Amino acid sequence: MDNRDRAENGMAAIGLSRSFGSDPAVVDVDLLLRPGEIHALIGLNGAGKTTLMRLLLGMLRPDRGRAVVLGQDVNKADRVVWRRVGHLIEAPFGYPELTVVENLWAAARLHGLPAAAAREAIDQQVEQLKLTQWARRRARALSAGNRQRLGLGCALIHDPMVLVLDEPTTALDPVGMVLVRQILQRAAGRGATALVSSHHLDEVARTANHLHVLHRGRLVGSLEPHGVDLERSFFNLILSLDEAQEPAR
Amino acid sequence: MIGAAAGVEWLKLRRSRLSLITLLLVALGCPALTAGFMAAAARSPSDTPLASKVNAMLIGEGWTAYIGMLTQILSVATVVGSGVVVSWCFGREFSDNSLSSLFALPTSRATIANAKFLVLTGWTLAVPALALTTAVVLAPVAGLHLPIDAGTGQIIKVALVGLAGGLLAFPLAFVATAARGHLPAVAGLILLVVITQILTIIGVGGWFPYATMSLWAGMGGSAAAAHITALQLLLVPLTSAVGWAATIGWWGRMQVV
Repeated sequence: MDNRDRAENGMAAIGLSRSFGSDPAVVDVDLLLRPGEIHALIGLNGAGKTTLMRLLLGMLRPDRGRAVVLGQDVNKADRVVWRRVGHLIEAPFGYPELTVVENLWAAARLHGLPAAAAREAIDQQVEQLKLTQWARRRARALSAGNRQRLGLGCALIHDPMVLVLDEPTTALDPVGMVLVRQILQRAAGRGATALVSSHHLDEVARTANHLHVLHRGRLVGSLEPHGVDLERSFFNLILSLDEAQEPAR
Repeated sequence: MIGAAAGVEWLKLRRSRLSLITLLLVALGCPALTAGFMAAAARSPSDTPLASKVNAMLIGEGWTAYIGMLTQILSVATVVGSGVVVSWCFGREFSDNSLSSLFALPTSRATIANAKFLVLTGWTLAVPALALTTAVVLAPVAGLHLPIDAGTGQIIKVALVGLAGGLLAFPLAFVATAARGHLPAVAGLILLVVITQILTIIGVGGWFPYATMSLWAGMGGSAAAAHITALQLLLVPLTSAVGWAATIGWWGRMQVV
């Protein structure tokens, strides 16, 4: 059974590679995300985390390999698959001229929710993300943290079974970070698959079951989320790789 | 899914200051200019520069001249106004780096792009309708009073010219998409205006869709308007359709890079 079969209810990268000109951004990445698991991608700036997420979501076409979501090749996935996927990649969803409620409504409708279900989902997200006070405020007038909460609400509005979040705790205060942790754990609890990227090693260690280290576009190892001194382990891994490559240059 | 996508795009357009201000500038500004110019020309001696310029745009008298002049002004203003709105509508997600939010959705990108075109068509229809209504309200400024003494054909012509001007901006959606932002499309709009001027001056404007409607509206005089053929007019919707189709094709294949 290969990763494609195993990703029937989750997500998989199978030998994924993508370059931009002569710069390799993602190199031969294999990754399997099963239902109920929370995976975290960690790496330095430019390591390829966002590019890998874009490849997994069909936002970029790979040079080699393929991505599988809920059992379907990502480039051929139908609307039944996408109806069950939620994501927040780089800029959070949020049109500045629309209010919080209007943005959530737009996200709900584009994610395929009927009008009545959309209204119910909006109420739930506004309450869950503690946005009640700003529900009628336009997104342009929100703080960066509340814009991020709105983006998360838009990604979660349809209760996705696959969740891909790029730096979900960016700009969030400690309360917001705890909220993200709870959201991810609840999602995993109902059998969803989650992939997050982050620079906050302590935060992802509290949330994820699996920590994957991405360096220069390659998956170079995993760290134990509950291990001692995660930050030192991370830097030791990166440093040893850089030193091993140094003589070859 | 097109209904949901059109609902979202309509909400975005309704809430946008740019689309509202542009609509008001074109649909209120053009009749105001028309009425103002006619009033100023009527009060000036016929040998003044203003009167001679305005008189060159007047074909016929009374309501016929008034609606005719409005049609000519709209033929240019709708292309420019709609060009700005189309450029923004299709370029905004590139410019504000939120394009990724339109991927990995059950609503395809081609559907979203079609929804954008649909609501822009609605916006385009609203321009001549509002402009005509405003023109009737402002008619006393030009010394005209009800009932409207102009042929049905002339009213249809205003609507067609206004609609065509708006639809002619649709190829700019392709520029905004391919160049990944609204500003390159605005630059494309400026270039179109310049090319239109040059081709009209050298006498081949009839075959350039962006000049065809203005010439048909009478901007080159009644003789030039009479020389516009059905084939030349047909190039106008064809240009819009090509822009529409090329944009949909690109939206279906594009990546977030």
